[in-house]
Amino acid sequence: MNDGWNIVVCVKQVPDADDVTIDPDTGTLNRSDAPAVLNKPDHNAVESALALRDAVGGTVTAITMGPPPASAVLQAAVAAGADGGVLLTDRAFGGSDTWPTSLALARAAEELDADVVICGEESTDSSTGQVPPGIAAHNGWAQLTYTESLDPRPDEGVLVGTRDVEGGYERVAAALPVVVAMVFGANDPRPAGLHRKIFAETEFEPVQWTAADLDIEDRVGLANSPTKVGGMDTASPVERERTRVDSVEALYDHLAEVL
Amino acid sequence: MSAASGPEIDVADYRDVWVFVEQHDGEAAPVSWELLAKGRELADETGESLVALVVGDGVAHLAEEAVARGADRALLADDPVFEPYRADPYGEQFRALVEARKPSIVLIGGTHTGRDFAGRVAVPAHAGLTADCTELAVDEAGLLLASRPTFGGSAMATIKCPAHRPQMATVRAGVFDAGEPAEAAENAAEAVESVDVVVAEEDTLSTVLERVVGGVVDITDADVIVAGGAGCEGDVTPLVELAEALGGEVAATRAAVEEGWVEPARQVGQTGKTVRPHLYIAAGISGAVQHLEGMNGSDVVVAVNTDPNAPIFEHADYGIVGDLHEVLPALTAMVREKREVAA
Ligand SMILES: Cc1cc2nc3c(=O)[nH]c(=O)nc-3n(C[C@H](O)[C@H](O)[C@H](O)COP(=O)(O)OP(=O)(O)OC[C@H]3O[C@@H](n4cnc5c(N)ncnc54)[C@H](O)[C@@H]3O)c2cc1C
Ligand SMILES: Cc1cc2nc3c(=O)[nH]c(=O)nc-3n(C[C@H](O)[C@H](O)[C@H](O)COP(=O)(O)OP(=O)(O)OC[C@H]3O[C@@H](n4cnc5c(N)ncnc54)[C@H](O)[C@@H]3O)c2cc1C
Repeated sequence: MNDGWNIVVCVKQVPDADDVTIDPDTGTLNRSDAPAVLNKPDHNAVESALALRDAVGGTVTAITMGPPPASAVLQAAVAAGADGGVLLTDRAFGGSDTWPTSLALARAAEELDADVVICGEESTDSSTGQVPPGIAAHNGWAQLTYTESLDPRPDEGVLVGTRDVEGGYERVAAALPVVVAMVFGANDPRPAGLHRKIFAETEFEPVQWTAADLDIEDRVGLANSPTKVGGMDTASPVERERTRVDSVEALYDHLAEVL
Repeated sequence: MSAASGPEIDVADYRDVWVFVEQHDGEAAPVSWELLAKGRELADETGESLVALVVGDGVAHLAEEAVARGADRALLADDPVFEPYRADPYGEQFRALVEARKPSIVLIGGTHTGRDFAGRVAVPAHAGLTADCTELAVDEAGLLLASRPTFGGSAMATIKCPAHRPQMATVRAGVFDAGEPAEAAENAAEAVESVDVVVAEEDTLSTVLERVVGGVVDITDADVIVAGGAGCEGDVTPLVELAEALGGEVAATRAAVEEGWVEPARQVGQTGKTVRPHLYIAAGISGAVQHLEGMNGSDVVVAVNTDPNAPIFEHADYGIVGDLHEVLPALTAMVREKREVAA
């Protein structure tokens, strides 16, 4: 592996979380036509992928599964420095829960001969965090979730990750290929360079793969998703007094009542 | 490696409620016992057995404790390969057990370890896995109804798994009560079954080089919580002193945890703990949806913030516009003073 590692970074398109607030009166979501953006934690994944390439050489390929407009997040990754991007798009993928989603990404990673697959901690829209370990499980690869930092050891064919665990951290050496999920906020993503940005916006065309290209057309989509959303209830909004007090004394008096 | 989608399984072949007893260094994660108590209720409703799954090295005592806490049986996989936790040996052991014993429901704590494990093991089983549930029930047909907050807690999605087994769910820590173990559990050892260990060290894909862990605080049982955010600007002394005066615990937003001001076990919110104290004081916290999700169940919420338009005020009972470095010490002094007068 002297010519570096094949690094694959998984990026997801989501509604902009910053534009989403809860209406305190109705308990419903104000999405204010939230535009679709790159999942915030995936910026950390992209940065890790680029830093890993800086360290060991090789290439960074961004992949996303979604409808054609999702190629915008590939563009964002390429603008940040990724070498290329693959869009997994097919009607057959519609309604996939995390099982087929991770299958599609796992198959694509296999096609790309990935040494390392880097994901975000979780998405801001459905936030299961199940896709990264799912990719690893589908391919029988090692996994490093909740990773704060990476320390590649190309001579040993090993990637060492520092993982956030209850009460502290651990350092784990994983054999390649390995799937990593970076902790949200683990690094400071580099800004996109101007030339890269222009390239991403004008010249970059993602490779497109269908379910049949990955030979999984009978294993994805709603029919192959074990979980079914059975119902959605608006959570009853929590009633709050919303009383403003203008002195610490007044605040203390209220507290004295409840304590 | 991956399981095929078909052939269709017969869901009637799958029985019993399993709880994965997460443990580290021989100590159970608190959420494990919370799930065991909840699992007991579900098993009683479906008329099935409650089975604790205990994996580790030298952890027979946890299998016995699980029985004392209400499990009908405990399955014990005891081997050095299982300490410390790693996804692939745990996953392979779980796959073999599920294949042989066919559980209907499997509950796992929504901790980093629990989510790492659950995400791995659901795939080979082709199980449905619902993330981060805060409500669990079974319907008339005995199907698990796993509900999770979505869209920043404004809605609850109820997820079912009609045609696949097991029905798996990760569950947030602090949502259910753990209860107490029964005093006399003399026959506990008889309800523990040691299972064949199917993984060998040479087949594992990773090595834990170093583990640095201290005692883990549990803020989920606190009656009073004083939480701080980015507004602490590096100084959390006002939180600590007020918490001390009120006999409560300090907590924080993810922003304050990322800065390193407060330890991760005290993070409240979507990727932290769910807390329901009697009193929650939010100081220097803006009120992001991911934070609100973890504390909206508090009885009384107080907000202290310099910005009169901070969203947190809309989700608080009492709000005061001001610098937390002034408001909290003043409040602490008042609490201490009145206490002395009373004493
Ligand atoms: C309200 C609601 C609740 C849901 N609950 C569940 C549930 O409990 N269980 C379940 O199995 N499914 C659930 N789903 C379906 C699930 O949202 C989809 O499968 C989703 O596409 C992937 O899950 P995620 O966003 O949670 O991924 P996560 O696992 O949170 O994502 C982690 C990382 O994986 C990568 N990644 C994830 N998706 C993609 C993608 N499409 N393309 C490229 N990279 C990606 C990114 O790097 C991302 O940061 C739910 C859907 C909705 C609408
Ligand atoms: C996938 C994902 C998961 C997340 N999970 C969580 C989670 O579990 N928990 C969580 O908390 N967040 C979580 N977040 C982050 C969340 O979106 C917010 O960024 C975070 O909660 C903001 O923290 P904060 O309120 O401390 O900081 P800010 O939003 O920066 O707010 C600081 C507040 O302090 C006020 N302030 C400043 N100085 C003072 C002063 N001297 N006195 C009083 N007030 C002052 C300001 O007016 C402001 O309102 C998550 C985000 C993502 C994307």
